[in-house]
Amino acid sequence: MTTEETVIQARALTKEFVRDEFHVIALQDVDIDIHKGEFVALMGPSGSGKSTLLHLIAAMDYATGGEIRVLGENLRAMSDGEIARWRNHNVGFIFQQFNLIPVLTALENVELPLKLTNLNKQERNDHATTALKLVGLGDRLGHFPRQLSGGQEQRVAIARAIVTDPALILADEPTGNLDAASAQEVLSILSRLNKEYGKTIVMVTHDAHAARSATKVRHLEKGALLPEGQLPAD
Amino acid sequence: MFRYLPLVVKNCWRNRRRTTLTIISIGASLCLLGVLMAIYHAFYFSDPPPEQALRLVTRNRVSLTFQMPQAYREQIKQIPGVREVMISQWFGGTYKDRRPENMFARFASEPDRLFTIHGEMRVPENQKKAFQRERSACLVGKALADKYGWKLGDRITIVGDIFPLNLELTLRAIYEADLNNETLYFNREYLEESLSERRRGNAGTFNILADSPESVPRIAAAVDTKFRNSSAAETKTEAEQAFQLGFISAMGNVKLFLLSICGAVTFTIMLVSANTMAMSVRERVREVGVLRTLGFTPAAIMGMILGEAVAISIIGGVIGCGLASLLCGVVRSAPAFILQLKTLSITPPVAAACIGVAAFIGLVSSAVPAWSASRTPIVEALRASD
Repeated sequence: MTTEETVIQARALTKEFVRDEFHVIALQDVDIDIHKGEFVALMGPSGSGKSTLLHLIAAMDYATGGEIRVLGENLRAMSDGEIARWRNHNVGFIFQQFNLIPVLTALENVELPLKLTNLNKQERNDHATTALKLVGLGDRLGHFPRQLSGGQEQRVAIARAIVTDPALILADEPTGNLDAASAQEVLSILSRLNKEYGKTIVMVTHDAHAARSATKVRHLEKGALLPEGQLPAD
Repeated sequence: MFRYLPLVVKNCWRNRRRTTLTIISIGASLCLLGVLMAIYHAFYFSDPPPEQALRLVTRNRVSLTFQMPQAYREQIKQIPGVREVMISQWFGGTYKDRRPENMFARFASEPDRLFTIHGEMRVPENQKKAFQRERSACLVGKALADKYGWKLGDRITIVGDIFPLNLELTLRAIYEADLNNETLYFNREYLEESLSERRRGNAGTFNILADSPESVPRIAAAVDTKFRNSSAAETKTEAEQAFQLGFISAMGNVKLFLLSICGAVTFTIMLVSANTMAMSVRERVREVGVLRTLGFTPAAIMGMILGEAVAISIIGGVIGCGLASLLCGVVRSAPAFILQLKTLSITPPVAAACIGVAAFIGLVSSAVPAWSASRTPIVEALRASD
């Protein structure tokens, strides 16, 4: 796979829905190519469609028009079970609200995606420990989410996202709930994952500082993807 | 699926108070259900105790309140397979007062045949002889003697109601038996002497001892055939166990009654459990969304939620079975005319049925919340607030 290999390819991607009898166009005719090894920040104001685009990339939602291929797969043609397996193997998610399971320790949270693989308990444990060490939490394996700071929780979430060694990492406002220092730590880890481990990362953010960690920034406005380098009018 | 077991267990224990209360409510309901199922099993499915398996009871076909000629005894004894026949007469009467705690079974019987019919009675030989020798002697069960503090030689007065006679009995023998230790027997001759000529020579029931359990149905049919169309009295003969259950049937459709309560208990606890599970799942919709993004399929998520509900229900079921077993012990030690209640216990089939019902409650109560949680679109699930 060359660095120019297309990981995400969307053409005329459109998402419309009806909410409270109002017809909403969340995304309209979006064309985008994201290549292997890119770290793309999707920026835009609330309601611009950036999270919707992220959801379509992850097949968490379906487009009402156009088409999208991710890692060479037409996700629309896959069954629920196939998409679940595909997500487990190929995509890591990072959320704004961390979304760790509160009754599980850091190690158990990170181990969760590995329960869907053929690894035995020891191997799962080793992989999860390695991932936690990679994000600097090797000494917090047995801690529950409530015993961790926000920044630490988000680092556990990153470890969970990378533990299956996915090709693509999708992050939805990963620094939105963090103080400046913690946000910087998280962005540093994402940069490292991109530069040292070649992960393709798509990050939704409205924080210009966070977007500077990305190798490419794309702006959305009212559901439309602006041409590269163009900023929204306001 | 076992890979998810730690997560299932941890989720069960996520809200300890709610889980504990759910387990207690399921346990209490299944305790009641267990006892009812044990009673149903004891009445309708259990084999009679060995001492009862060979005994039959013959009564007047019309009603137990009508009597039969005592001469039937010799005719019954001629039937092949019959080892012994004894006349028995329910005396009724009052001991001390009419309070229920002073009510116990009192039978006029034939002392020379009693110990053959009731071979399970353990009585010292000298006491047995004393009871058989003296017309006003009586024999009581050890539990009854202990209850009233009776000792050999004590006088016991029973005031008659069905019969116009007050019994002045002397305690000459105390028997012990594995099941029934709460009956008083006295000599039928004592009763006969006190009756007018017109009322003598009758029998309330005939207690028959068969030579083998296989002979029991044949003897029952033979006895009733023998006295069919008899001008004196037609008979109805049945195994002693069936005879005792006849008393229960007299109260109404006991089968339907027991099954109705079992159904109501199951349905009610199912609603309680469904409410709890719905609440528990509703609080975790976002987590379900997260699990989906990690690659968990809707089926796996549904399986985990169902597993959680079934685990909680089964724990409740096991506790319920334990409590039911204790309750059965209390019932066994209480005075009871129905011999089946003396053997009441949570047998393996009853325990299995109880646990099965618990698992069923868990499955059914969580099916809808589990289904809807597993099918919630990921985006919608992730938007849910904690």
